[in-house]
Amino acid sequence: MLRQDHYKTSVYQTPFHERTSELNILNEWTRWKDYTVSTNYFRTDLEYFAVRNTTGVIDYTPMVKQKITGPDAAEFVNRFFTRDMNKIGVGRVGYVVWCDEAGQVLDDGTVFHIRENEYWLLCVERQLDNLKNSAIGFDVTIEEITDDIACLGVQGPTSCSILKVMGFEGIEHLKPFDIKHYDFRGQEIIISRTGFSGDLGYEVCMVNDVALDFWDELFDKGKIYGIQPFGLDALDLVRIEAGLLVPGHDFMVAEEAIRPGSTRSPFELGLSWLVDLSKPVFNGREALIEEKKKGSRYTFVKLNINGNKPAEGAYLYNQSGKKIGNVTSAMFSPSAKANIAFASLHDPWKKGKDKIIAEIYYQKDLEWNKVMEEATIVTKPFFDPDRKRNTPAELY
Amino acid sequence: MTRKNKNIAIIGGGHNSLVSSAYLAKAGFNVELFESRSEIGGMASTKELIDGYKVPGAAHLLHQTDTKIHKTLKLDQHGLTFVASGLKTISINPDGNALIFDDDKVSGDDITMNEQKQYKEFRETMKKLSGFFKKSYQIPPPRLGSGDRKDMTRLMSLGWNLRSMGKNSMRHMLKYIAVNIHDVLNEFFDHEHIKGSIALDALLGNRLGPRTNNSVITFLHQLTGDLNGVQGSYAIPEGGMSSYSQALKNAAESAGVKIHINSPVKQIDLDEKNKVRGLILESGEKVNADIVVSGIDPKSTFMCLVGPKNLEAHYVHKISNIRMRGNTSKLHLALSGLPKFKGVDSEDLGHRIINAPNMKYLELAHDFTKYGEYSDQLPMEIIIPSIHDKSLAPNGHHVLSAVINNTAYDLKDGWDQSNAVVLENCLNQLEVMAPGIRKLVVHAELLSPKDIENEYGITGGQWHHGELTFDQFLMLRPIPGMAQHKSPIDSLYLCGAGSHPGGGLMGLAGRNAANEIISRES
Repeated sequence: MLRQDHYKTSVYQTPFHERTSELNILNEWTRWKDYTVSTNYFRTDLEYFAVRNTTGVIDYTPMVKQKITGPDAAEFVNRFFTRDMNKIGVGRVGYVVWCDEAGQVLDDGTVFHIRENEYWLLCVERQLDNLKNSAIGFDVTIEEITDDIACLGVQGPTSCSILKVMGFEGIEHLKPFDIKHYDFRGQEIIISRTGFSGDLGYEVCMVNDVALDFWDELFDKGKIYGIQPFGLDALDLVRIEAGLLVPGHDFMVAEEAIRPGSTRSPFELGLSWLVDLSKPVFNGREALIEEKKKGSRYTFVKLNINGNKPAEGAYLYNQSGKKIGNVTSAMFSPSAKANIAFASLHDPWKKGKDKIIAEIYYQKDLEWNKVMEEATIVTKPFFDPDRKRNTPAELY
Repeated sequence: MTRKNKNIAIIGGGHNSLVSSAYLAKAGFNVELFESRSEIGGMASTKELIDGYKVPGAAHLLHQTDTKIHKTLKLDQHGLTFVASGLKTISINPDGNALIFDDDKVSGDDITMNEQKQYKEFRETMKKLSGFFKKSYQIPPPRLGSGDRKDMTRLMSLGWNLRSMGKNSMRHMLKYIAVNIHDVLNEFFDHEHIKGSIALDALLGNRLGPRTNNSVITFLHQLTGDLNGVQGSYAIPEGGMSSYSQALKNAAESAGVKIHINSPVKQIDLDEKNKVRGLILESGEKVNADIVVSGIDPKSTFMCLVGPKNLEAHYVHKISNIRMRGNTSKLHLALSGLPKFKGVDSEDLGHRIINAPNMKYLELAHDFTKYGEYSDQLPMEIIIPSIHDKSLAPNGHHVLSAVINNTAYDLKDGWDQSNAVVLENCLNQLEVMAPGIRKLVVHAELLSPKDIENEYGITGGQWHHGELTFDQFLMLRPIPGMAQHKSPIDSLYLCGAGSHPGGGLMGLAGRNAANEIISRES
């Protein structure tokens, strides 16, 4: 059931708030949907390095969670999402996008095939109306369970060891995108080998009642493995290195866009691999086939930019000074030791012919400076360690 | 593949399906038509009320016909003749003062010369406006923003049709199109009885009151047809309504259409790519077809025969939101003699008799509808077809057929509970209009919108396969993006009244669909 006591409080605290507020010594908070969560706990870069070198823990309870159950659940998700959902078997997780009737992306997220006839969709934007509109004619029940389920991301090289020490037998045998059900204090918890960091890591979903117990045990057992909490700022760094998009940042959520040209199709976000046009029907298919015929308006690219000045929001030009796009996310990556960015390119940019030059502004003692830096397109992830994939996972 | 090799399966045997099938067969396609009932014609049919008495099943007058279709299909050679045409409309009144409308003339009920002039003016104005509709009904409406040359031409021709009406009519169109018939009639007339009688034409078959916006569109819509060159004329075919369908059937069969009755369709057969493969009948039989054309309503077509799982969600959402709330019942009486209506000469009894004494009466009836109830004072359109066609009843006996408006499909108490009460109310009303009629009643039946849904398979019992409102009109009919008789399933087309230009016994939807299919599939 969704909480309906907004009139009592303007933002909710997550079930972990008692602990996160103690650790958040900077007292920096961000409102994420109905909840308040830590922006930073102690120092963004140190939180980032905890994720990359030991283990970082993020409270992502505000992630919108929807449960789809019923005899037609499999057919329903296959019609709702652009990719072939039959390939995501029971106990598996899939990365998905879904589109409106114009083939424009509404949001991206992960679908958990929890058990036969039960799927969970975890995403940024609320989808209850889209899901329910799409459910006409299907024998499915759709509930939003955001407020019932607490979620933690346990990410980093030592994450598997900590969970193993906590007593989750066989956790190291989980392959990437596998789900396993465990018992914790008499309640079912769901651990999946997924995450937003591009590294070895797990996501844990549990009922609110056991949230604090889980946190305490996790931090207790994790102490010698260098466990640290991390906030949304550090999350943004690891997800850019991992090459993951955020709606509202790297693309406009189609429902919220005011200008028709500002939305993106999956093809325009580099997500063609998530679109299976050979499926007979899914939402947005007709429009996407049309786009295939006519050509897309935008091209999504990952960039490696010269210099070390992050290109956040930069305009991109070709060699003749024509604007050809802009940067949607950017950072200097400590792990890749490169100045990296995501960008959306458009006409008159010609693949393979045109240069990409970023117009980067940066501040030096209050004074704004500008550099024009050339960029090259990167096709592989910026950060892609083997331990992300190795099964059994590395134990320490 | 040439047309000759292409098989077309048509679902439903209503008049639009028959027209479509005839045009398609003439164009060289192999056409088979599947009707679920034991006779073709759908709502334009004759049914046996009780032994010896026959009544028109649903539609009881030929009204909005398109002469061009009649000529192209040579319906006169296929057995269509009229026992009565150019019928007058006699609007009765509880006090016995009837008004008689005969084309552009009106008389009776203390009408003044000035009011007669006003009526003529009104008719001329409205006929001009409905002329615009008539022209736009001849072709499928354009798709908006498609960039297609054909759509541009169609959009331009719509604009030109409007422009070429002349300044005055264009002004009238803009002024009246979005408002209600109540306000328009008040501009033209003071005579309450005239206003009520005209307003009824905007409401019959629809779920509107005179004050409901949109009632001008429905009024103009029913004026679009013509018969023997007379716009808005009423006629009765010889042998009852089924002989109209029979003529269409003969025309279709002589063009080479194979017609199957008692063949209800279970689903439209799609392959694993969602391409049309044919039909699956209730009997289990599979029919192979390259093209499927559905003459049944869009909701039944997509929600039942295609299935929501085979469509993108936005289509399902839009289709399930098509308003199809039937509001019209049919009353059938077997009578042991000819009734006497107050204020109606006995030689006039064969004409169209209506009960709509004033606009307030109609509005009040609609008020009940709004809240899922029914008034005991309902608007009616009555004819006694046995006066023209002796074969419908035993010698000296008669049958009466009445369209009863404002009987909502979704009554709060449900039709199981209400049918007998509504029937009783109607008989009581008739007794006031025609004292002594109750004694003549041999048998009475009321077909509620629910019964019509069950009998003819039309969702909501809605005669027009979708309410004819501005948001379900022209390029928005049945839903935006599907107005060219085309559907999201390749080679599945719509030819029924649910597509442009809508309901009434026009046959235009059927013919336009056929033309569209011929140009796309050749």
